[in-house]
Amino acid sequence: MSTAIDDAGDRRGKRVMWTYIVCGLSIFTLMLLVGILLRGSQAAWFALDAGVFYSLLSLHGVGMLTALTISGLGTLWYLVNRETPLNEGVAYVAFSLFVGGVAAVIVSVVVGHYGALWTMLYPLPFVGTYWPSWATGAWLIGTLLVMVGFTIWCAQILGALVVRFGGLNGMLGIDYVLRNRAFVQSGKEPPAPEMFAAAITAIDGFIAATAGLLVGIALLVHWLDPTVALDPLWAKNLTYMFGHTFANLTMYMAVAGIYVGLPLCTKRSYHTSVQLTVAWWATLTFVIIAYFHHLYMDFAQAQSVQYIGEIASYLAAIPVVVVTVYGGVLLVHRSGMRWTLGSMFLFAGMIGWVVGGFAAVLDATIPVNVDLHNTLWVPGHFHTYLLEGVVLFTLGWVFVNLEARSGGQTSALVRWLVGVGMFGGGALFLLSFYLAGAAGVPRRYAVEPAPGPFFANIATIGALVLLAGFILAASEALRLARLKPAHVPL
Amino acid sequence: MNSRRTTAAVILAVTVAGAVLPPLLGAADLPTAQHHLAHSALIAGAVFAGVLFALPSRDTQVGHYGWLLTATLAPIAAMLLMWPSKYTWFEVHPAGHVVEHLGLVGLGFLSGYAGQRYAAGIGWASGLSLFAMAFASAWGFGVAPPGAIAASVSPHATKAGSAVAGPPDPVRGKTLFAQNCAACHGSNGGGGQGPSLLHERERKSFTLAQQWIIDPAPPMPKLYPASLSRTDVRDVAAYVEQL
Ligand code: HEC
Ligand code: HEM
Repeated sequence: MSTAIDDAGDRRGKRVMWTYIVCGLSIFTLMLLVGILLRGSQAAWFALDAGVFYSLLSLHGVGMLTALTISGLGTLWYLVNRETPLNEGVAYVAFSLFVGGVAAVIVSVVVGHYGALWTMLYPLPFVGTYWPSWATGAWLIGTLLVMVGFTIWCAQILGALVVRFGGLNGMLGIDYVLRNRAFVQSGKEPPAPEMFAAAITAIDGFIAATAGLLVGIALLVHWLDPTVALDPLWAKNLTYMFGHTFANLTMYMAVAGIYVGLPLCTKRSYHTSVQLTVAWWATLTFVIIAYFHHLYMDFAQAQSVQYIGEIASYLAAIPVVVVTVYGGVLLVHRSGMRWTLGSMFLFAGMIGWVVGGFAAVLDATIPVNVDLHNTLWVPGHFHTYLLEGVVLFTLGWVFVNLEARSGGQTSALVRWLVGVGMFGGGALFLLSFYLAGAAGVPRRYAVEPAPGPFFANIATIGALVLLAGFILAASEALRLARLKPAHVPL
Repeated sequence: MNSRRTTAAVILAVTVAGAVLPPLLGAADLPTAQHHLAHSALIAGAVFAGVLFALPSRDTQVGHYGWLLTATLAPIAAMLLMWPSKYTWFEVHPAGHVVEHLGLVGLGFLSGYAGQRYAAGIGWASGLSLFAMAFASAWGFGVAPPGAIAASVSPHATKAGSAVAGPPDPVRGKTLFAQNCAACHGSNGGGGQGPSLLHERERKSFTLAQQWIIDPAPPMPKLYPASLSRTDVRDVAAYVEQL
């Protein structure tokens, strides 16, 4: 491990990281309960008024993504701080903006019943609403606060990496790939893999936040002054350029857990390779234009951008999954790795990433999209990716750290129970999305026969089992956190 | 003063002249989209001057965090200044317009300058981000196409049933069709979930087609008057009659 900073700096970095992660996972827990409420009502276990459903769905969507983003940003902040000391005041400023934003959103939904979903597509938040106008305002201000915090985070990391690695060239490993011989002979080393995760998050995050701020400010202005009309298609492009990228980046943040966490479990190190670097370049370039796959039905837009969306979706997702997971599996293969909760989550997360990524790529394929894209298949793919990918990487990272710090162990029984709960429950929850989605009709049909409560029933049972597994894991995390530190290996 | 800073000062002076003179000479009365583009040009000059003025840094450490916060917040403030309908006010008061332009120039300069002071390259990033927002505004910030949503929000939407002046416009109708009908009837009217509309004029006259769109039978949704104005119905029907 490189140790560019002293112990005090490392401790400060850890404090930032745990502040972010604890906050992120608390929001996550709350949103998990909201999600179960949503699915339970679809299973007709109890009745939710349609307006309340959409309000809770709005909260669930934006809350979950923000929760995982906060944990991911905290982790990356800590890892970058190990390479080059960062000012933690800035991290706390960004953090307060996140917390303020989430609070405003909660007020908007819980008190005001805002319900135009986290994508807040213009003009939905303004036209024919069943909630008061101030709720839309609170929602817009809340999301803007999150975006501003995110921008500040990105700018800080960008500046730090530029200074540390001597410009974009060094930070993206350009010489390392293009002039490999000379680079290696000169004794230089490329950035560690997790630095790519940080760099791509910061660069693409900054670009996406530019789009998000523009549409966010335009919506805010429209709210204050309705005579300022916006172009709906323009707004939709910007919204998804921000929204899709923001959601997708949670994965690229969480992947740092594999690069740094898995080596701790296997006692081997994850090296930067030329393939890995190039794969990250693909993500860097394409994650920002893949969003066109959200506009497949916008016939007013040129068809060519739809094909760009399709191809970019492949190129953003596939290379980095393949290279990272291949590297991860090699790392584990015959390493004699001990199965702990940490290593188990990280390994399972790779499986979720591959499965969820595959389902996403299927859905991004236009001929398939025409038939499969509905409100069951789509949540199926992104919940796989997020719940059995991003969330597991995040938990894996948390446990690897807790285990290393305390030297504590989790009994095989608890490991099994957590595994059965989170993966078994998760599988039930996700499979019913997929099956009902495949059996359902494309969303563009005017009348969509509901698939009935059968699948929703199974899904809700699955989600409850998952919740039980998660609670067990959380209490195990608290137990490990309370153990006396054994040593500080990170 | 070295030559970089001299260049920066010259660029800034030209930009400020571009900001101050047009409103005073009464030449700043532009449609919103062009107005945004003019603003983005001012911002480009100001950012460039700011970046140059900051001089290259060879620091091995980042600058004070105040620069970082300034560089991220200045673009946001500038975008709020670009609030389109405020232009009417600013245009009535040339002095107000000048102040607004100077604000944009100042904030643009600050984005570039503060960013560079934080770390080399960050001024470019935040300046470019501001420029991109200002430039992209021309396609949608206070600029809406004729069509569905703008019409439904506008108080001027024609009242139901009343006659519509002027000849029908099938070209406009084609855009409306892509926005409102293509999802069901196919992008070229060849059919999909809804029936094919090719040779529709043999089944329904122009008048009948309009009546149908105004009051269709399910499962076709009734889009008038919530998302289509009377003029929209006329134009989209004119397009359908050509298929
Ligand atoms: C949600 C899907 C949907 C949308 C959107 C839609 N339609 Fe239809 N349309 C239908 C269906 C289904 C029918 C057949 C209804 C029937 O005959 O029972 C139909 C029938 C028609 C017909 C009559 C065809 C005939 O048999 O002569 C016309 C004309 C028409 N649509 C025009 C339009 C136009 C113009 C728009 C856009 C403003 C539009 N439709 C939007 C689904 C749709
Ligand atoms: C057991 C856990 C979860 C349950 C039970 C659950 C349940 C649901 C349900 C029922 C929907 C609505 C689908 C629809 O009908 O359109 C939904 C949407 C969504 N969920 Fe989850 N979810 C869970 C976990 C997560 C996680 C971990 C994330 C992300 C980090 C997430 C992000 C979202 C998003 C972004 C939406 C879409 C919101 C929108 O349409 O605007 N969920 N969830």
